[in-house]
Amino acid sequence: MSQYLFYILSLLTAFSAMMVVFSRKPVYSVLYMIFCFFTIAGHYILLNAQFLAAVHVIVYSGAIMVLFLYVIMMLNLNKESEPHKSNIAKTAAVVSGGLLLMVLVSVFKSADGLAINPAFDSQIGMVEVLGMVLYEKYLLPFEVSALLFLTAMIGATMLGKKEGGAQS
Amino acid sequence: MEQFIWLIPALPLLGFLINGIGNKSVPRGMSGLVASITVLGGFILSVVLFLQLLSDPNLVIQQKLFTWMATSTMEVDFGFMVDRLSVIMLLVITGVGFLIHVYSMGYMHEEPDYARYFAYLNLFVFFMLILVLGSGYLMMFVGWEGVGLCSYLLIGFWFKNNDYNAAASKAFIMNRIGDLGFLLGMFLMLQTFGSLSYDKVISGASTMSVGTPVLTAIALLLFVGAMGKSAQLPLYTWLPDAMAGPTPVSALIHAATMVTAGIYMVVRSNVIYVLAPFASEIVLIVGILTALLAAFVGLKQTDIKKVLAYSTVSQLGLMFVALGLGAYKTALFHVVTHAFFKALLFLCSGSVIHAMGGEQDMRKMGGLKKALPITHLTFLIGTLAITGIPPFAGFFSKDEIMASAFATNGWIFALVCFCALLTAIYMFRLYFLTFHGEFRGSQHQQEHLHESPASMTTPLIVLAILSTIGGFIGMPEIMHAPHLLSRFLKPVTAMAESYTSLHVTHTFEYILLVSSVSILAIVIWFSHRKYAVQKHVPAAPQELSGFQWVLHNKFFVDEFYDAIIVRPLRMVSSLGYRWIEQGFIDGIVNGFGTVATSLSAALRYLQSGAIGFYMIAMVISFIVVFFIQMFL
Amino acid sequence: MNILIAITAVGVLAMLSEILNFRRFLYPISLFVMLVALALTGMEWSHGVRYFNDMLYMDNYAVVFTGIMVVTTLLWFMMNENFLNGNPRQADFTAIISFALGGAMVMAGFSDLIMLFLGVEILSISMYVLAASNKSEPRSNEAGFKYFLMGAFASGFLLFGIALVYGATGSFNLREISEFVSENNTDMSAIFYGGVLMIAAGLAFKVAAAPFHFWAPDVYEGSPTPFTAFMSTVVKTAAFAAFLRLFSTCFSEVSTWWSPVLAIMSALSMLVGSIMALRQTSLKRLLAWSGVANAGYMLMAVVSLNEYSDTALVLYAAAYSIASIGIFTLVSNMTNAGNEEISSLHGFSKVNRFPALVITVLMFSIAGIPPLAGFFGKYAIFAGALKDGFVWLAVVAVLSSAISVFYYLKVVVAMFQPAGREAVQLEFNPGQSLVLGLVLVLVVVLGLVPALITTLI
Repeated sequence: MSQYLFYILSLLTAFSAMMVVFSRKPVYSVLYMIFCFFTIAGHYILLNAQFLAAVHVIVYSGAIMVLFLYVIMMLNLNKESEPHKSNIAKTAAVVSGGLLLMVLVSVFKSADGLAINPAFDSQIGMVEVLGMVLYEKYLLPFEVSALLFLTAMIGATMLGKKEGGAQS
Repeated sequence: MEQFIWLIPALPLLGFLINGIGNKSVPRGMSGLVASITVLGGFILSVVLFLQLLSDPNLVIQQKLFTWMATSTMEVDFGFMVDRLSVIMLLVITGVGFLIHVYSMGYMHEEPDYARYFAYLNLFVFFMLILVLGSGYLMMFVGWEGVGLCSYLLIGFWFKNNDYNAAASKAFIMNRIGDLGFLLGMFLMLQTFGSLSYDKVISGASTMSVGTPVLTAIALLLFVGAMGKSAQLPLYTWLPDAMAGPTPVSALIHAATMVTAGIYMVVRSNVIYVLAPFASEIVLIVGILTALLAAFVGLKQTDIKKVLAYSTVSQLGLMFVALGLGAYKTALFHVVTHAFFKALLFLCSGSVIHAMGGEQDMRKMGGLKKALPITHLTFLIGTLAITGIPPFAGFFSKDEIMASAFATNGWIFALVCFCALLTAIYMFRLYFLTFHGEFRGSQHQQEHLHESPASMTTPLIVLAILSTIGGFIGMPEIMHAPHLLSRFLKPVTAMAESYTSLHVTHTFEYILLVSSVSILAIVIWFSHRKYAVQKHVPAAPQELSGFQWVLHNKFFVDEFYDAIIVRPLRMVSSLGYRWIEQGFIDGIVNGFGTVATSLSAALRYLQSGAIGFYMIAMVISFIVVFFIQMFL
Repeated sequence: MNILIAITAVGVLAMLSEILNFRRFLYPISLFVMLVALALTGMEWSHGVRYFNDMLYMDNYAVVFTGIMVVTTLLWFMMNENFLNGNPRQADFTAIISFALGGAMVMAGFSDLIMLFLGVEILSISMYVLAASNKSEPRSNEAGFKYFLMGAFASGFLLFGIALVYGATGSFNLREISEFVSENNTDMSAIFYGGVLMIAAGLAFKVAAAPFHFWAPDVYEGSPTPFTAFMSTVVKTAAFAAFLRLFSTCFSEVSTWWSPVLAIMSALSMLVGSIMALRQTSLKRLLAWSGVANAGYMLMAVVSLNEYSDTALVLYAAAYSIASIGIFTLVSNMTNAGNEEISSLHGFSKVNRFPALVITVLMFSIAGIPPLAGFFGKYAIFAGALKDGFVWLAVVAVLSSAISVFYYLKVVVAMFQPAGREAVQLEFNPGQSLVLGLVLVLVVVLGLVPALITTLI
């Protein structure tokens, strides 16, 4: 059962990801992206990571994508006004992307022996277990990521605020 | 005495600091005096050191100052080593150096940047002393680079002239090519012997067998370094151009000391070369080719300093011939005598140039012997010395080179003799053109002809005396006098001598003596007839034809280098510039209009083209890397 | 750990200064805290503490690199007094720079791949923002945007690589990974090798090694000069510290597998960098290309992985950072005067004797002329490469450094030429002169006694 689910979800993920690129209108792209995120959340559930799935839906599909849509609609960018890219650039991009895919696939299809093969644990994706890992073993990365977000925040406000705004 | 060795280089350094930092605030008289006295101090200390070494044949003074870098398998120290080889170099550097400093006080008296000149000169002496005093190749390299830097600074001393700057850059870059070899040689030594100090390298090398590939590689790489510094084929073209510097600089750096650093290096590493016969052969071939080529070119030069410069290249070539033959002591002997007479010749030419108000073209000179009696006499002595007429210094050293050549290979002997003949021809051409015949300069110059001041003539006289008697330190066997230099240097080259024996019969020495003197006499008579009696003046360059034209243009070596090295490099650079920079990046910039006009223009530009290309380039290189690594 | 707290404290104080209105004191405070951080770094030395379940391991390697970066940042603050003081965005800049330094420190001391990624991201995001910070200048916007897009791409590689290595070895921890690798080094799966390559590519982007260097010249040139200075010193040092730390602790067992490809990258960087630098007329762009070449030299230390690699890299990074900060002092003054062309330096030595002297010495050092610090850095790195049998790479390196002498000397020659029409008056404020003095002393002292820094590891 879960195997069929996996295939269906994967198909949908790949399809919607491609549609993000191929759609001409930005709003469609964003909608496909939301769909793509939902299907990925589905994968998380299959992997028994319920909390991650929930957070994924809330943060990505909810907050970030709404922000994207908001910006697109507010600036009224939903036109097919994308500057025309030369065919050479397109071909080169497609060829190099395809090559990358080919190389990666051919490398990893023969790969065997993942070191991780944990026994099934129904509790592993639960908030409690995750919290224990995050606040015990990975406490420092957790704190340091605060530094990352703070930097990003300051940067965003600095780039966003009007020139000389601080003087007033 | 041993605890004062550091003073020898420290004194010139002190002089450099005084003149360099004080610069314009040091009184003019003072700066020259300070510079000379510091070098004289070094000379006195060297003499004391020499006497000490003389009394004890096995004495080698080792002094470790501090460890520069130490790891488990290698150790590089900063320290001094004084043995019989370095003390000879010390005497030459400080002795000849002192005389040239004194001479410079007179020669440069009109120079506004007097203190800067002496600061550079002192710095040069300092680095040269470090070069010969060092206890290992690394220290030698430090001095090596330092003298290169000073040579660069001094060639470009009159930096307002662009040609001079170009000459300085040329010298610097050619030397860097040589340094590349030296550096690689050092790395290889470090890898092979785990150390760069002489005693460890030498003792390590002497345990190896003849023809070990790594020794051959080291010897060849070191020789590449020597080629750069000692102006050998193919890296010699910087030396004639280096004549752009003030004449005393040419005498000190480009004749007496710095250019012989390459010979010092080979003598120092003689054990390695003895065990690498192939490398020695290369040294021999390069030496003889350089000697001949430079002597040919010297035949047709009209600039007085250029003739001497090519003569220096040629003589250096002869020294390398001696090294290639395994006659290390002979090479060093020639270094010493060459330092005397070539410094003398350069200083004399400086005196001539001084009297002529800066004129260097021999076609505008002539008949100077009346106006410049001391210069004339000393120049004649120098000429006799370089051409190898007994009993002047050059005779003994050159005779030794010829004898060792004869003992090894008849062809080499013939070529060396031919080279000596050429030397005589261009030197006497120079002498007669300059001092005999009629004056060919302007009226104005004739009125101002004057003998140089005492500060300049005194060094000339001292050097002339040295050029006359300097050869007696190494008499050939037939004279039944001891070969003092050879005896003194025995400990240094003991190992080399066990491999090569270069003995000739007494009969041969007599024949050589008589025949060389008689041939030289013919050359002198011929030159005298042509230039002094018939008053032949070399033609202007545009009238030359055939081989003479080729000679005058120095075999077009500079043009050749320009065509095969300089231009292609430039082309690659400009292609990169044109296609990638201008064609691609700038093309995109231009293609999207004036970026600077507005932000929107910039954003539009950003969204199309450049980044896309960058990304694709990144992905493609990643794919290539991945492909190579995973599938090949 | 205290170092990280002290460094981030500067950032927090900078933000508070906006709210509580003590901006005037921000500059002295930041200088002071940097000094404190330096002292704390010294106190950390030779303890080798592993913090928080071995997330951060402050061994001597990490401490020395942190020390170099803190000193460089201190010098950076000193040289940018005029730029920062009175700037309406002083607080933002101070905060971002100090957070970036925190990220750099994490990169030097990480003991867990997650920490590596966080460090890289903190540093990169700060740099994206700072590169774009001159909003009125299109080139600055372009630089920030370019850097951001390509950097995000490279981060993708890095993250994917980390994930693959995790998958193959079952751990993020460096010690556990290296144990796993040494136990199974004959039959590691392809996933592991793919991961190593992807991490290498991601890090090669961060250090601007060819062929992942395309962003560097544009970004270096477009960014405001003070931040270019920061990028070419602290960012480069941090990225190399991380590169060597990761590859020497985790992947050294399989080094024969990945070193050829890194060797090619290194050779390519040296050649591309020095050949392109030859033709540059703008000093800033010249330095950008020479940065690519220098990335090649430093990459040699990673390629020739042996017991000297870390000392060699420390020496080189220190020499390079110090010299670059000094040279960028000049460049930032040129930027202020509105002309970054080398030819505008004609006559410079007549007016500014001391700066001209210092810049000359720095150029000599960076070109590798003895007895200055740069020579010894190069020497140590080349010797290491030879020791590991990369003779061809050493030949390329020496060749490229011979070329580099040419363009570094070009700057020196320009400074000593008589003034032309283009001559620009440059003024060095006391802070900058002090920086130049300190840098001169450091370059000479490190050249004479490199053991001062190499024995620290």
